[in-house]
Amino acid sequence: MAANPQANIQDVTAMVAGRKLYSAGFITDIEADKVAPGLNEDVIRLISAKKDEPEWLLNFRLKAYRRWLKMTEPDWAHVNYEKVDYQSISYYSQPKSMKDGPKSLDEVDPKLLETYKKLGIPLREQEMLAGVQNVAVDVVFDSVSVGTTFKKKLAEAGVIFCPLSEAVKTHPELVQKYLGTVVPFGDNFFAALNTAVFTEGSFVYIPKGVRCPMELSTYFRINERNTGQFERTLIIAAEGSHVSYLEGCTAPQRDENQLHAAVVELVALDDAEIKYSTVQNWYPGDENGKGGIYNFVTKRGDCRGARSKISWTQVETGSAITWKYPSCVLRGDDSVGEFYSVALTNHRQQADTGTKMIHVGKRTKSTIVSKGIAAGHGQQTYRGLVRILDSAEGARNYTQCDSLLIGDQCGAHTFPYTEVRNPSATLEHEATTSKIADDQLFYCRARGIGEEEAVSMIVNGFCKDVFKELPMEFAVEAQKLLAVSLEGAVG
Amino acid sequence: MPLSSYSTQFERHANALTAAERAPRSVQFARFLDSGFPSRDEEHWHYTDLTALSDRSFEPEGQTAEALPQPLLDDADALVYLNGRLLSERGAADWHSDAAELPPPSRGVDALNAAFATGGLRLRLSQGERLTRPLQVVLISRSDAQPTMSHQRHVIELGDQAEATVLLDFVGDGGERLATHFFELRLGRGARLNLYRIQNEAAGGTLVARIDAKLSRDAKLNAVTVDLGAGLARHDLDINLAEAGAEADVAGLYAAQAGAHIDNLVRVVHSAAHCRSRMNVRGLVDERTKAIFNGKVLVQPGAQKTDSEQRIANLLLSRKAEVNAKPDLEIYADDVKCAHGATVGQLDQVALSYLRSRGIPKDVARGLLLRAFAIEILDRFDWPALRARVEANLHLPSELTTDFEP
Repeated sequence: MAANPQANIQDVTAMVAGRKLYSAGFITDIEADKVAPGLNEDVIRLISAKKDEPEWLLNFRLKAYRRWLKMTEPDWAHVNYEKVDYQSISYYSQPKSMKDGPKSLDEVDPKLLETYKKLGIPLREQEMLAGVQNVAVDVVFDSVSVGTTFKKKLAEAGVIFCPLSEAVKTHPELVQKYLGTVVPFGDNFFAALNTAVFTEGSFVYIPKGVRCPMELSTYFRINERNTGQFERTLIIAAEGSHVSYLEGCTAPQRDENQLHAAVVELVALDDAEIKYSTVQNWYPGDENGKGGIYNFVTKRGDCRGARSKISWTQVETGSAITWKYPSCVLRGDDSVGEFYSVALTNHRQQADTGTKMIHVGKRTKSTIVSKGIAAGHGQQTYRGLVRILDSAEGARNYTQCDSLLIGDQCGAHTFPYTEVRNPSATLEHEATTSKIADDQLFYCRARGIGEEEAVSMIVNGFCKDVFKELPMEFAVEAQKLLAVSLEGAVG
Repeated sequence: MPLSSYSTQFERHANALTAAERAPRSVQFARFLDSGFPSRDEEHWHYTDLTALSDRSFEPEGQTAEALPQPLLDDADALVYLNGRLLSERGAADWHSDAAELPPPSRGVDALNAAFATGGLRLRLSQGERLTRPLQVVLISRSDAQPTMSHQRHVIELGDQAEATVLLDFVGDGGERLATHFFELRLGRGARLNLYRIQNEAAGGTLVARIDAKLSRDAKLNAVTVDLGAGLARHDLDINLAEAGAEADVAGLYAAQAGAHIDNLVRVVHSAAHCRSRMNVRGLVDERTKAIFNGKVLVQPGAQKTDSEQRIANLLLSRKAEVNAKPDLEIYADDVKCAHGATVGQLDQVALSYLRSRGIPKDVARGLLLRAFAIEILDRFDWPALRARVEANLHLPSELTTDFEP
């Protein structure tokens, strides 16, 4: 980047001009078939019936709901927000014109396709340009899948990539075998809620020895007013397989707070590898902290097999409140867990994010690189747990978490928990907190680079360790996203 | 009913007091009953659960021998407390007070302590005053026949430019006991306090000690803490750098014996700009010991130019041992330099082979390296007699540990 600052400046300037206001903030007007707000067992039965689910899944939901009723909302996170009224949320909505299900993309509501165009994921073009852009998109629009592309190509490789509700019907044995085994139904308050009411999400199964021929991607989007989204994603990589999964998010501008409580479960068997990348760009609220998404997500990967590997990479720039800890349970011997994160909070955004690495197997290894950037009145918290159980002979962990502060009204916090019960384990934790060095800024300014651009460059450099872990398309997007999110933070 | 034995004890304790004395203590005790002993649900007590104490019954008084467990240090004045009562003193009669100064209503162990508190050390130095000899405060906790408890409150107040060296010498001497100690430290402008806290709680004993320090402009607190012993000990060291130029330097070592549970919480609050804090902690964790170290640096809004560093290093030496370390940072100002690091590992294999290749037996080599690891903290002692005593008492596992071969 430093090699060609001129291009970067133009890039950033153009982007700032083009996206000064939150460009994804529009509302598509589609009649929704939605359930009246409120949550009780009848609503759960209704959701289950609408999805035409088998008995065991309904029972699973009800079990979670009953547990949820007994749980209290946790408040240990370093965030402040108005409590959510769970009875004012509608737990199911479905675009009306979708009732009979589109046979092909041509039957999809044109308004819907328009929305995606504005967001920059031209679904139809993607199918046509299949050879050029090798990315399959399973689009989630308010709870129901609109169209799934590239199915054929994936099917040839034996990969199953479909909405979870479809997988329940087509591959019930796989879903039943793995669903809820990584994140149990009563794991935590939000996971229990999700288990009770989840409506959509993706299912991925990579068979033995298969390297997924393309990067899988789901574009989530919250649309219908007052509808919290409760996705559930389940990815299983069988022995010796490999998959890279991208998740990107954006949501329209709203005044009310929207709740998002997803659950993501990853299972890696012997020698399998899962790479899960997220760029999260939901509406963060305005400068005064009004509106914005609550992002309370449970993400966990289970390295069940020997020599398996799960890698989380996340770029979190959106949401009013982010509260998530993508974790790895390193069960298999020699398994590897990785976590790379860039989290940015500007204006009144708050983020309490980090990871958990639970070392169970022998010679398990984990790496944590977390970069937090706080600007404006943003509050940024890294909270991580590294637990080495007595069975984890020769386990190793390396943690690095750095924070960058921009402005004197923001906060950056680090809460690294380390619990070690095996004497052969080695664990290192390093962290620094600083502001952008004046000499770096001066260097850029002296070469005619505007202050905002200079800050953007330095921040990008600060995040480089994480960006290089992202797939190509995401890396570019992530850099732009940071620049836009930092807009107004300097000067 | 849980806590009922404490209620009975408090009634007896309160009846002996005047109405004016009783009122604030009743408030504190009600607060204690309300919150109870801290459980793992409380963030700051995540690794130490005191709720087991709820059903225990501790008598306030008990017959016990009055002998000193170890001789006093020669070059210091001394106050000796046995189970909360002044046993003897040497050149320090002025620094004892029977009356306790109560804090505002609190909760948990703080409230329990306040409800029952007796006096203790009250060191007040006026402007420019210096203690010529260090002050050794021995706090013995001992029970023979039945479990007993004691609760003390202490004050150290240094006027502007005053200087003192104080040793808080906690000695557990067998038997089931509960002791709580609260220290209030106030350092005036430019004051300087060298504080040593040595803990040697015996198995069966529970010690909860809290030191709250507030530092004015350019004041300096040097704290050296050493945890030995085999009991359950919880120490809070809460330092508030209230005015510019204040400085806190904390060095800590824990090398406890089998079965010990050592929980340290060191919190430094940077309330003003241009303050400096250092925390350097080392742990040797062996043989069924559980060591917890929570360090926290909190930088308040406006505390610019803060310079802070936390280092926690642990050697985990046994399969049955456990280390929990957490160096927290909470920062609300941007022009600051804050770093922290924590490590858990074993002895350097290269260093070990180097020594062995030169004919040094393995156990001796291990002992040498462990001592070298601890020496960084021991070097902070500015009191040779005390250093010699601590070094002699230091439990350095060498041939003792046979369950783990790196």
